[in-house]
Amino acid sequence: MEVVRADGRTPNQLRPLACSRNLLHRAHGSARWSQGDTIVLAAVYGPKAGTRKGENPEKASIEVIWKPKTGQTGKAEKEYEMILKRTLQSICLLTVHPNTTTSIILQVVGDDGALLPCAINASCAALVDAGIPLKHLAVAICCGLTEGGYVALDPTKAEEQKMRAFAYLVFPNSSHSVLPKALSAVDEEPGIITSVTHGLMLESHYINCLGHGHAACAKISEFLRKSLQTQFPGDLSKGT
Amino acid sequence: MSSMAMMLEGAAEINRNFSFRGLSALMPLIRMQQSTIFSSLRLQPREDGSSEVQLGETHVMGYVTSQLVQPYRDRPNEGTLAIFTEFSPMADPSFEAGRPGESAIELGRVIDRGLRESRAVDMESLCVVAGKSVWAIRVDLHILDNGGNLIDAANIAALAALLTFRRPECTLGGENGQEVIVHDPEVREPLPLMVHHLPVAVTFAVFGEGNIMVIDPTYKEEAVMGGRMTATLNSNGDVCAVQKAGGEGIMSSVIMQCLRMASVKAADITSKIKNAVDAYNTERALRKVKRHPPSVALEVCVPDVIMKENQVDELSRHEVQNLKDDPERGCSNDGPRIGVETSTTRGKNNVFIGGPSSWDPYSKGISSCFIRSSQDLPGPLNLAKEQEEAKISQNSIESHPGATNTVSSGPVGASVVSQQVNCPKSLKDAVKPKHRKKNKASSSSDMS
Repeated sequence: MEVVRADGRTPNQLRPLACSRNLLHRAHGSARWSQGDTIVLAAVYGPKAGTRKGENPEKASIEVIWKPKTGQTGKAEKEYEMILKRTLQSICLLTVHPNTTTSIILQVVGDDGALLPCAINASCAALVDAGIPLKHLAVAICCGLTEGGYVALDPTKAEEQKMRAFAYLVFPNSSHSVLPKALSAVDEEPGIITSVTHGLMLESHYINCLGHGHAACAKISEFLRKSLQTQFPGDLSKGT
Repeated sequence: MSSMAMMLEGAAEINRNFSFRGLSALMPLIRMQQSTIFSSLRLQPREDGSSEVQLGETHVMGYVTSQLVQPYRDRPNEGTLAIFTEFSPMADPSFEAGRPGESAIELGRVIDRGLRESRAVDMESLCVVAGKSVWAIRVDLHILDNGGNLIDAANIAALAALLTFRRPECTLGGENGQEVIVHDPEVREPLPLMVHHLPVAVTFAVFGEGNIMVIDPTYKEEAVMGGRMTATLNSNGDVCAVQKAGGEGIMSSVIMQCLRMASVKAADITSKIKNAVDAYNTERALRKVKRHPPSVALEVCVPDVIMKENQVDELSRHEVQNLKDDPERGCSNDGPRIGVETSTTRGKNNVFIGGPSSWDPYSKGISSCFIRSSQDLPGPLNLAKEQEEAKISQNSIESHPGATNTVSSGPVGASVVSQQVNCPKSLKDAVKPKHRKKNKASSSSDMS
């Protein structure tokens, strides 16, 4: 029996994704990622000389600034900044440009649930647009455990508020779509970069969420790969 | 240096590609824009109370929100209006996060003065209970990209956002009639603000000892200018505010000429803002009438609407693919399912309306259905209907800049299938009970 959610999706359906890059003229890299009505605009200013006080000068450091749609920045925004910073630190090659700071600025354009995953996807695309060296891409998804007991992917804000528990999961970019089938037959353990959970869920539910999230992330990475590939091959990052 | 005041005419389109060689030997200033005197203005209201403005390279977003608060003591029956400007570090590497710098504060104050002192927004209509509760309107302006002339762009964003903003309706109730009940936007239609006139800011940059005035400076021109003057006027020709903070001295005759030019420009911009807001309002009204998620495009004839809902339901149920599909569906399903927009062009605000439908109650199935995709379309939208061989016309339908369709017919991008709707079902479908509330947002599900 297919359960249908409030906006007509099945539990395993994501909202339509859209990604556009190179939107801003001053920023070194920019990307706009939208999942349904949740839209985040990310801008990257490439390696600037010097690190902040307290940061390790032997590595590059990442600085994240989160700008909400309205209102002052508060604790929630600081938490998002911290999660994003740690996530992006794990995907960037920090030893390529030591003693530099890369700033990522996020602007929330619309918030309809799954805001943090949308922001992570946007910042990853923006980093690619800026040409920052990365180990791999990060793909984020929100999986929630609904009242009905099933796992729903990419909930809207209304759904998120009614859910028993939900988790924001970030996985590395999967290479299933480009590797030949034989090689990818061996399904290795999904490596989770980040997992942020809200609410109470059983361990089995969490493992279930991980499985769903991993599969969904494979699809999102495909989409991301396609959208990144359509840019001109000779596209260089801006230096202004 | 020429002692003649040189003014750039506002009426005709002038080739902008000239350089001020006498200005500085080291830095020849070349006007980059080749088109009209004002940078290309693109204005897009996105939703109620939010707007996105692109003026040349400058990109600003405005949001309006409202809240019930206690009024000020000395104005017990007036609402309040507050402008908050955020110079986001996204816009310019020199913008710092945290406390706003002096240029951010100046921008906020200029826009505030233009709106408040000229009484552009009616404050008394925002009063609910005199002395107890009034509406406080808050305008947040986010500068996303600094291409110069932030004041003008931010002003336009604020005006567009205020024009499209709707505040919830509230009535007095409760035991003693003093309690304010705020009605949900779904229950009662929210109300627009009363805006009497639109104060538009026009900025001039001064060069060369006050002789040369350049309208709408870019950020490179701003870096070398001698001074700046902003005039806020409305289309009636009233001067709402003039801001000239330091810089080169300008002769009063030059100032008068600037004001005259600014009033021409203000009228032009006012009409552009009004057009954009009207287009948005008609689209919004269409949305409200048909009670659809804005994703489904609707034909103009109303009786078809009910049919279409069911057809879309059916189609979407058949067509909608689970994202966990087996991979051998092939790339025909893969690409179109998720749209990729890689262009930087802003949304073409097409409201694509499908062709005329033919009434054929006995035709087999739905040979075509038009789906206009937008952000909140449920499930994967861009469906390549392999089984339907109907006309496929690929349009770039972007109701918002972030829409899920590509422009070209490239294989990678999404292909939007726009097809005509036949209304093959009989009228009984029109009265079919809408148990399958599949493709409706929760708002419209109370229709059945």
